[in-house]
Amino acid sequence: MSQIAAAFTKTIKEFLRLRTMLFWTIAWPIVWVLIGSFVFVSGAPKEIVPYLRGATTISMMVFALTIAGIANLPGNIASDRENGLLAKLMSMPISPWKDFTGRILGLAAFSCIAAALVTAVGLACGARFSNTGIRVLPAVGFLLLVICASAGIGLLVGTFIRRLQGAVMTGVGIAVVTSSVSGMFMPYSALPPLLQQFARVYPISSANSSAIYALIGEGMAGYNPLTPSQTGLTVGLALFLLVLGTILYSRFCWRSE
Amino acid sequence: MNAICVENLTKRYGANEVLKGVNLKVEEGEFYALMGPNGSGKTTLAAIIASVRMPTSGSVDIYGRKPWQAKEWIGYVPQENFSSPELTGRENLMYFAKLLGYSGSQAENLVSEMLDRIGLSVDADKRVGKYSGGMRKRLEVATALFPGVRILILDEPTTGLDPAARRNFFGLIEEIKDEQTTIFLITHIGADAELASRVGLIDEGKIIAEDTPEALKRIHGLEDVITVETAAQSEKVANILREFSDDKRVLETEAGYRIFSKNGDKVLAEVVRNLDYAGHKVTRIEVARPSLEGVFFKLTQKMVREVG
Repeated sequence: MSQIAAAFTKTIKEFLRLRTMLFWTIAWPIVWVLIGSFVFVSGAPKEIVPYLRGATTISMMVFALTIAGIANLPGNIASDRENGLLAKLMSMPISPWKDFTGRILGLAAFSCIAAALVTAVGLACGARFSNTGIRVLPAVGFLLLVICASAGIGLLVGTFIRRLQGAVMTGVGIAVVTSSVSGMFMPYSALPPLLQQFARVYPISSANSSAIYALIGEGMAGYNPLTPSQTGLTVGLALFLLVLGTILYSRFCWRSE
Repeated sequence: MNAICVENLTKRYGANEVLKGVNLKVEEGEFYALMGPNGSGKTTLAAIIASVRMPTSGSVDIYGRKPWQAKEWIGYVPQENFSSPELTGRENLMYFAKLLGYSGSQAENLVSEMLDRIGLSVDADKRVGKYSGGMRKRLEVATALFPGVRILILDEPTTGLDPAARRNFFGLIEEIKDEQTTIFLITHIGADAELASRVGLIDEGKIIAEDTPEALKRIHGLEDVITVETAAQSEKVANILREFSDDKRVLETEAGYRIFSKNGDKVLAEVVRNLDYAGHKVTRIEVARPSLEGVFFKLTQKMVREVG
């Protein structure tokens, strides 16, 4: 237990003290919440503006979680590999699973902080949600799936891209490109048909749409992502990415060559 | 009792054979230095002993156990600065203490003791990113000194340190040495290796010589180098000096001459007297002792480190 606590404490302290991480994970999504709340809604009917702001806030919360998992986590792993910490850990009586669990919990805690700050700014800018109370729970569940999927992708990037710079740039690239083409920065309905298909399959964007659907409704989500088949696909792919990332991380990062 | 026993160890990366049948024994409490140039296989050997890498063939025993069964006895300090620059010195040590299973208050007490021991108590709550290279290296050695560690493996610990930090670092090592911990030092610096009780020279994956530093220099017949500078350089001065050089060699340098003798101290006084008697004023004279780098050069015709 103390090994998990050690990895957790180190991870979250490093995340909270690195300015580049704070910028990409917290400041950048907040900037987009501000832009989305005041610039993109200028032509929209007055009565739907608060819900547009709500949808933007959820999408940017998801983007913050995505960046934390896909860019910050591999950066953290690559940095530990590059500066010899991974070699040091391999020489110690430590289980890779405990190190992994501590890292993921650290990432989840940091993601929650980032999500809370983005939400607070969104609410301060006038974001409103039509469904509250019990409907919040599935939305939280979908946000947890975003953490799982992005952590899985992050573990894959951190395992195979060995240099810190490369891992972070690859992670940011994947996060920004996939978010852009899957409708996180624009309405689902504005995507071409091929990208709409991608947005439904890519677990992060489908979880984003699911959270928007649960909290605001189909109008903002663009389609119903809470059908059993779509929900199954979202849950299945998110967990598959996490399991795949975990297996490859513990096999390749901790392997004595 | 052997702390480390390496037999016929080989390591290949694809077609590249990095270690070619290394045999090595290090006694408990011994300070052993493995010296060689970059790419000689010394870091790979240390990594195998620390169970970070696997050998291709051969065996390594740590007090009779396989390296991965003896992890609690090994304190490995890799070459790189592995401490987190975002955490303070205390937080870094707490991280390692907790990884090793120490509970909150137990870990705090142990870390405070260690910070005292390595002389970092005052700077314990500063971020490591603000530490000097020497402070950081001492902190990293401390991560390998938790109770139970019997073998300390240091991979090129003084690379990049200034002379004062290097002296300070080896002061700490001297203290550890008194406690009967076995020290296995990897280095390409002869002056560092000279502090060890035994030195192995490694080149192209093979240990080419192994003995005490003094014995290595004696056995491989290295001479003292005497540098003489006179007010004026002339053939007459060179002829006088030739008489004192063991093999009659006199090298002319920009400022004077160099001669070679196995008995530099004795020759020094005679050189001064003879030159003075012949009317040549000596402006500077000094004796340089043979070094382990010199031994390595004599055995391989290669430099241990490139001269920048």
